[in-house]
Amino acid sequence: MARNGKIKMNEKNRIGAVIWGIVVALVLLMPFIMQQNKYMMHIGIQMSFNVALATSMWLIWTLGFVSFAHAGFMGIGAYTTALLFLRLGWPIWINIWIGALLAGLVASLISLPLMRTRAVYFFMASWAVGEVIKRIFAMFRQFFGGWDGLLFILPPKLSFLGLHIDFSSRVAYYYLAVVFAMMVVFLVYRINRSRTGTIFWSIHEAEILAQHVGINVLRYKVLAFTVACTFAAMTGALYAHYHTFINPKSFDIWVSEFALVHIIVGGLATVAGPVLGATVLTAVDEALRPAGYYRVILFGVVLILTVLFMPGGLESIPRRIRALAERLRKNEGGGSKDATT
Amino acid sequence: MTGLFAQIAVTGITIGFLYALIAIGLTLIFGIMRTIQYAHGEFYMLGAYCLFYWFKFLGWPYWLGVLASAVIVFSFGVVVQLLLFRPLHGKSMLYSLAVSMGLIFIISSGGLLTFGTVVRGIPKFIAGGTRIFGAFIAYERIVISAVSALLVLGLWIFLQKTKTGMAMRAVSQDPDTASLQGINTRRIHWIGFGLGSALSAVAGCMMGTLMSIIPTMGFMATMKAFMIVIMGGLGSILGALIGAFLIGFIDSFVTTLATAEIAYIMGFAAVFIILVFKPAGLFGQEWED
Repeated sequence: MARNGKIKMNEKNRIGAVIWGIVVALVLLMPFIMQQNKYMMHIGIQMSFNVALATSMWLIWTLGFVSFAHAGFMGIGAYTTALLFLRLGWPIWINIWIGALLAGLVASLISLPLMRTRAVYFFMASWAVGEVIKRIFAMFRQFFGGWDGLLFILPPKLSFLGLHIDFSSRVAYYYLAVVFAMMVVFLVYRINRSRTGTIFWSIHEAEILAQHVGINVLRYKVLAFTVACTFAAMTGALYAHYHTFINPKSFDIWVSEFALVHIIVGGLATVAGPVLGATVLTAVDEALRPAGYYRVILFGVVLILTVLFMPGGLESIPRRIRALAERLRKNEGGGSKDATT
Repeated sequence: MTGLFAQIAVTGITIGFLYALIAIGLTLIFGIMRTIQYAHGEFYMLGAYCLFYWFKFLGWPYWLGVLASAVIVFSFGVVVQLLLFRPLHGKSMLYSLAVSMGLIFIISSGGLLTFGTVVRGIPKFIAGGTRIFGAFIAYERIVISAVSALLVLGLWIFLQKTKTGMAMRAVSQDPDTASLQGINTRRIHWIGFGLGSALSAVAGCMMGTLMSIIPTMGFMATMKAFMIVIMGGLGSILGALIGAFLIGFIDSFVTTLATAEIAYIMGFAAVFIILVFKPAGLFGQEWED
């Protein structure tokens, strides 16, 4: 994976920071631009969830693993907050942390044996973990509500310094979801830029070599998996309070699959990939909703075409354009030189 | 009581053989091409629908229909391999996973559009049954199990005795050395992919006869096939056979005595536990990527 080195990147970094700044400003102003259109707000919330999921899954990918347990951990977060809210009446502001803690605990415990496996074997083992979590929710009908799931998980209210925010309003929830997604993206970005992130990539590139220079590979694998699953669980908590009902099907394998599609279409090299992929594909998905099954077919075609013809994903488009422009300029220069001689 | 257990055991054997066909198809593809074929179950679904339309439009004999379905899906598999999987050969497994995921979207939604969302059935080829140890066994199940066993045996002989079969084993053991020995690995790739898909299609035909068919049935088969293949170890036919019977028996015993939910959890738990103790499956080779 081509990762940008830190040398001669100052100018590029500045451009990147400006672009990110514009994106953040646009996202925060979106409710005013869209005149608080409820449907648009809904899409925005959906996008935020997908961005958070794809970005956290990408964090596992920086180690070279594809995890299909993501939807399951999202379910742990969602069910924790739902049960605490419905049985004890606790607000999401406490529950989300309990859910994150629980998911982190489960993830770190399960990743110890899980990380013994590699490549396809890991893929299957994580799939099994996700599926077992989902089926456990379905099995205990008394406690988890079985396939019918849990209902009436109301959106939270917040009273803070005399300020009363009711999150049953779409705009308020939009801000909640967007701020959360930004937080996840920012944290993953920071992790990726840190020493730890570099170690993740070194394990991706050459695990045995990493081990031989004294990196405790297992520890970093467990760390990445736990952090990513914690983010997934927090997304799940927000998801539950937004949709107000959850059932095991909300945390189906498809959720993980779509997160993976977002990453692949967006690009694998930097954190911009999952963000781009999740945003663009969610928008396309909503726009094509009336098309029914053709929408899914189109998704498949887009996915295959991306892999075959643009393996770098959407994030590689600027680089491609630049490379193309460079080549054109060179050809032109070369051509004129030939003409003069 | 013995009747019940005998009945469950018979069901387990029939299901086990059909799972084995799907899983051996997948393990062939895995072993030879080293790519993830996540859309394997879709070929199983296509096989079943080929047989359904064979009856609907032609109404010719059953086994001829199974053969036709195998041939059609074989060709389709070869086309898919040449167009989509060949360019990805040697790249990260993520790409083949993505392409086959795209195939799932296309084939299963395309199936829902063209075949309709209704559950359908394939007519039985033989009626009646017999009683053994108090268990009622339909002749259909006996024939299906026998045919599956023969197919597995035939494949085994093919891999052991024929030149192409030996080339396939060589490629799955060590692609580089195999191609140094003058084996045309590209040819082996498409033959292997087609053969694997055809096996899955035959399983689809017979499962469709025993139960019902619907365009979304493919994913379940993919799931079972992956569980079995990973459990047995990639590329290992013996492993796939053992895994298939393990999953088949878990399915039939636990589903009858408890619930389908618990059967699922137990199946996945079995896969997980085996992977914890043997990270490369029961008979698998370690797969670096």
